[in-house]
Amino acid sequence: MRTQVPLLEIKNLHVQFKVFEGVLKVLNGVNIVIREKEKVGLVGETGCGKTTTIKSVLRILPSPQAKITGGQIFYRGRDILTMQPREIPGLRRGELSAIFQDPLASLNPVFTVGQQLGDILKHSMKHQGVKGISKKEIRSKAADLLRETGMPDPERILKTYPVQLSGGMRQRVCISEALRATVKLLLADEPTTNLDVTIQDQILRRLDDLVEERGTSILLISHSLGIVRDLTERVYIMYAGTIVETTRTRRLFENPLHPYTKALLKTIPKLTGKGLSEGIRGRIPNYLNPPQGCRFHPRCDSAMNICRKENPPGFSAGNDHVAACWLFRG
Amino acid sequence: MLKYIGLRLIHSLFVLFGLSILIFFIARIMPGDPARVALGPLATEEQVQKLREEMHLDKPFPVQYYFWLRSVLHGDLGKSLYTKRPIIKDLNEYLPATLELVFTSFLISLVFGQVSGVLSGYFKNTWFDGLSRLVAYIGVATPSFAVAIFLLLIFSHILGFIPAVGRISIIMKPPPRVTGFLILDGMIAGQFKVALNGLKHIILPAFSLAVAHIAQEGRVTRSSIVDNMQKDYVAAHIVHGIPTKSVIFKYLLKPSLIPTVSIMGLDFAFIIANAFLVELVFMWPGFARYAVTVMLNKDLNAIVAVVLIIGAVFAVVNLIVDIVVSFLDPRIRLQRRGG
Ligand SMILES: Nc1ncnc2c1ncn2[C@@H]1O[C@H](COP(=O)(O)OP(=O)(O)OP(=O)(O)O)[C@@H](O)[C@H]1O
Ligand code: SF4
Ligand SMILES: [Mg+2]
Repeated sequence: MRTQVPLLEIKNLHVQFKVFEGVLKVLNGVNIVIREKEKVGLVGETGCGKTTTIKSVLRILPSPQAKITGGQIFYRGRDILTMQPREIPGLRRGELSAIFQDPLASLNPVFTVGQQLGDILKHSMKHQGVKGISKKEIRSKAADLLRETGMPDPERILKTYPVQLSGGMRQRVCISEALRATVKLLLADEPTTNLDVTIQDQILRRLDDLVEERGTSILLISHSLGIVRDLTERVYIMYAGTIVETTRTRRLFENPLHPYTKALLKTIPKLTGKGLSEGIRGRIPNYLNPPQGCRFHPRCDSAMNICRKENPPGFSAGNDHVAACWLFRG
Repeated sequence: MLKYIGLRLIHSLFVLFGLSILIFFIARIMPGDPARVALGPLATEEQVQKLREEMHLDKPFPVQYYFWLRSVLHGDLGKSLYTKRPIIKDLNEYLPATLELVFTSFLISLVFGQVSGVLSGYFKNTWFDGLSRLVAYIGVATPSFAVAIFLLLIFSHILGFIPAVGRISIIMKPPPRVTGFLILDGMIAGQFKVALNGLKHIILPAFSLAVAHIAQEGRVTRSSIVDNMQKDYVAAHIVHGIPTKSVIFKYLLKPSLIPTVSIMGLDFAFIIANAFLVELVFMWPGFARYAVTVMLNKDLNAIVAVVLIIGAVFAVVNLIVDIVVSFLDPRIRLQRRGG
């Protein structure tokens, strides 16, 4: 269908963490494709490796504990993992950006919002070749960005420190920092956890509008299938360091294939049903000694012999729909 | 902020008042008869008795304290039994020399401590970090007078390019006094040769005093740099394209300095305490030597004055430290504004 080079293509990514007890084999072959102007979701339980995946793309995995042991990450066809270290800052100042999970932790506590946001804008503008920008111009640009995220009274906010802001305001600051003019791909790590539902909704809609207006691609990470259903076109389901299923978002909800996805969909409270349904039996596996074969097999009701021995590759079910499960072998 | 400083100053005055009572009595309880020590073994009992009365030593302690406090409030710290001069004169002569030494070593420990701390934090577990850790252990474990003797041997006696002792060469005329800090006064008077000479004299003693603190402060800065480097905000700054240099020396350094600056106030007291031995090694005509001499001679008024001056300097330094910390950490500033 689409032939152009995707914006981002993660191929068979493997990441391990060295800890005191041994080696955590966390990412075990992650494959993700994001095209231009596409809105993509990434869903999975806590600890399944979502943050680790985007940290790999951004090249900010903690060293020396974390190690990329396999795979490639192509940005516009070039492998980020083999790029010269001096090329990376340009990418970050230009097209690649991110919003982190915890807004308070991702803002520097001892600098004002204006200082941080202003500095980011200054370097981003320099990168675009704009010269001789005055402090005043930067300030007003920063205020504009805050205003766009729906921040009330942005001029005053620029003078405050992160501790003085509410959770929602902090998140709006983080979005402003991330959404510089040149950004083409935004990796948004649970941008609204810890916020109350109305604020969460407001911020996500705003973010969605901004992304749409600018034609930015977004990878939206979330625990919540509801958020992903509303805001994305395509979705990846992740379990214990692997992508288990991917398809268009609509189709995933109509016709989930992978047993894990089915179980996950059952956990969404149905508005018409009788309240919460039961969670998924069992727990996410231990990464020191992950299960052989399909990592989901200890929790899977349909597990077969082969599941305990061999890791299932992605089987295509047509229409961009792929499931990594032996049930869908040819 | 001004209100806070005002409150702190008033608070310090109370502390100094308490300190004066304490040290006043302790000085009098110490064994030995000050009048006898002052007049020497050959004086007659009558002469000694007369001096005791002059000094109100024959009266009860609270009365003595009352007399003392009254003259202090009139700006008179009394006379030294040892130098036989008004104590103010003694302080005026010796205190600036020590303060100059202590501040210089403070400055040296600040610069070297921070630079080594930042670098070994950023390059944690590399050869640089290992080396600076080794130097730090040696630095903390070696008493400063030993460092002093060692430096003196190497630089003055063996290499011979730094003068050994004193504040200034005897053939040089000291600059007109403005601040009492020789180097500063030399520069104010435009006598740069004198200033340079003073600098050459101060470098070894100041460095001997600084070594332990360079080591300690460097380690504290290193560990907070290492801690803060893991923080999400550092990753966020990097991802948002702020250049590495700016991330380290601006966004990482400022929060990491907070614990270091906080311990510097205490370090200042240690530097003063260590100054005595170092002043001895370098024959530095300073206050620390004066302080110990008057204590050994049971020079009552001088002892009280010395302790109070050290107390006052300590209070001021700690106030400055607090102001700097609240400048670095808006959370503290905001709390104060709120409370
Ligand atoms: N710095 C680290 N050191 C050691 N192990 C780590 C580190 N970071 C992540 N891990 C391991 O990787 C696993 C996946 O972590 P990750 O943060 O990617 O999960 P996540 O999907 O983002 O979870 P959440 O939804 O809670 O944010 C964790 O279970 C943990 O065992
Ligand atoms: S591969 Fe086997 S164990 Fe894994 S999800 Fe499919 S059926 Fe279950
Ligand atoms: Mg996460």
